[in-house]
Amino acid sequence: MKRFFKRTFTSGLLIGGAVAVAVAAAAITYERYDTKTLKRTLRRDAVHCGVSTGLPGFSAQDEKGNWSGFDVDFCRAIAAAIFNDPKKVKFVPLDAKERFIELSKRKIDVLARNSSWTMSRETEYYLHFAGVSYYDGQGFMTPRARNRTSALELDGSKVCVQSGTTTELNLADYFRANNMKFEAAIFPALEPMLKAYESGRCDVLTADVSQLYALRLKIGKAAEHDILPDVISKEPLSPVVRQKDDDWHLLVKWTLFAMINAEELGIDSKNIDAAMKSKKPEVMRFVGTEGDYGEWLGLSKDWAARIIRHVGNYGEVYERNVGTNSPLGIPRGLNQIWSAGGILYAPPIR
Amino acid sequence: MNGPRPSLVFGALLFLVSLGMSHALAQGQDGDQPGYVPSADEEELDPRWQKTVVFYRSSEAPGTVIVHTNERYLYVVQPGGRALRYGIGVGREGFQWQGLLKITRKQEWPDWTPPPEMIERQPYLPRFMAGGPGNPMGARALYLGTTVYRIHGTNQPQTIGTAVSSGCFRLTNPDVSDLYERIPVGTKVIVRQRPEV
Repeated sequence: MKRFFKRTFTSGLLIGGAVAVAVAAAAITYERYDTKTLKRTLRRDAVHCGVSTGLPGFSAQDEKGNWSGFDVDFCRAIAAAIFNDPKKVKFVPLDAKERFIELSKRKIDVLARNSSWTMSRETEYYLHFAGVSYYDGQGFMTPRARNRTSALELDGSKVCVQSGTTTELNLADYFRANNMKFEAAIFPALEPMLKAYESGRCDVLTADVSQLYALRLKIGKAAEHDILPDVISKEPLSPVVRQKDDDWHLLVKWTLFAMINAEELGIDSKNIDAAMKSKKPEVMRFVGTEGDYGEWLGLSKDWAARIIRHVGNYGEVYERNVGTNSPLGIPRGLNQIWSAGGILYAPPIR
Repeated sequence: MNGPRPSLVFGALLFLVSLGMSHALAQGQDGDQPGYVPSADEEELDPRWQKTVVFYRSSEAPGTVIVHTNERYLYVVQPGGRALRYGIGVGREGFQWQGLLKITRKQEWPDWTPPPEMIERQPYLPRFMAGGPGNPMGARALYLGTTVYRIHGTNQPQTIGTAVSSGCFRLTNPDVSDLYERIPVGTKVIVRQRPEV
């Protein structure tokens, strides 16, 4: 009798142990090895996209609740590639504090929220930055009357800067490195800083270049203020995805690369139909009349053509949201194709 | 009868208006308006087309002119990864060729001789117009070899930033005068078109 109990007890223990290990393994796998983002997206029939709570030009809602912006268009590009429908996006506005956590916790599947690619963000939150979509960085605004065309001509300036950001440090570093003197006027908030610059209490304003254009728009007298071409720091904005789902990561990455390559190849939303008939090998590979590139991403042959048709190439998205066709009017600068004056460089689709 | 019949007046007015309209329409189609002198206000461009210094990476030497027809910009490469960028209007001829040219001749207030194809499209044009304000060639011309290519001014600043039917690369008169002082004869000019699909 005792031996019977001993045997059943041991086997029970063993079975229980095996089940416990299996459950633990499944739990860990679920937590750390999610490889089903594309499947889930297809099932939900929408791309779950994290955006900012309201940054004109990048992501903002109008009174009717329609989203628009550079980051918004990127989400639409992913939806176009997957669903052939740029409207299949669920936009989730997130503030700066929660954005990476919500992505980790799978509340969203891609974060398109003008986030700078840094090492700590990739490693601390277990994320991948899919590729730089916008090269931003610190710059300078100064009244046109001062007639400056270079940041190296700012010796002796009084510079307005916001406190508590790397902007202050970058400013000091830059002036010291270039043997220029300056006087800092430090402000905790944007509004008083802008007022000080407008009233002439400082003769230079420093912030990220994209922000300078937004501030200049606020001032309302674009012709009276120059934003210098110099960019003195690196803020490489990139869409973000979770680690461990390579398929999804590749899909997001190559969506960006498709938009850049399209511009380089001369393909835009207006000539995409003509491009479908092209005999140029590069164009054929892009639009899918040659090769299986789309299928390797888990998409259709015309995955890239869908993006361009429904959303546009990089240049079109840029100009409509932050460039010459928008109130911001930011010149391409760094964000021009590498062969046309900028540093945008996408690996080829081949 | 005191005064002309209302119907006569109306008829005369209608006739005059339609004359004016047909004249304007004929001009509007191809756009040249010889003799028109733009006001200072009209010479002021939308900020996106104004002369400005921009970040511009290039392996070309400073002083080289690079025309991006697709963008409607002309860049003068400067040291330090910058370029001086001007807004341009691009005529039909401007879209037809890509490559390297040199400035061979410069001219202030150039004369204008419309080519035969242009006369055909706009028969009311003068066969020759001396240089000066109101001349469609504008304040300056920079000639690029024996090609039809030239960089010149305009008496229609509203065409900057657009594709126009005639002419090559045009800047506003203030801009082309500014450019004229900066680039000597012999300057390399690179014309870049958008790639074909």
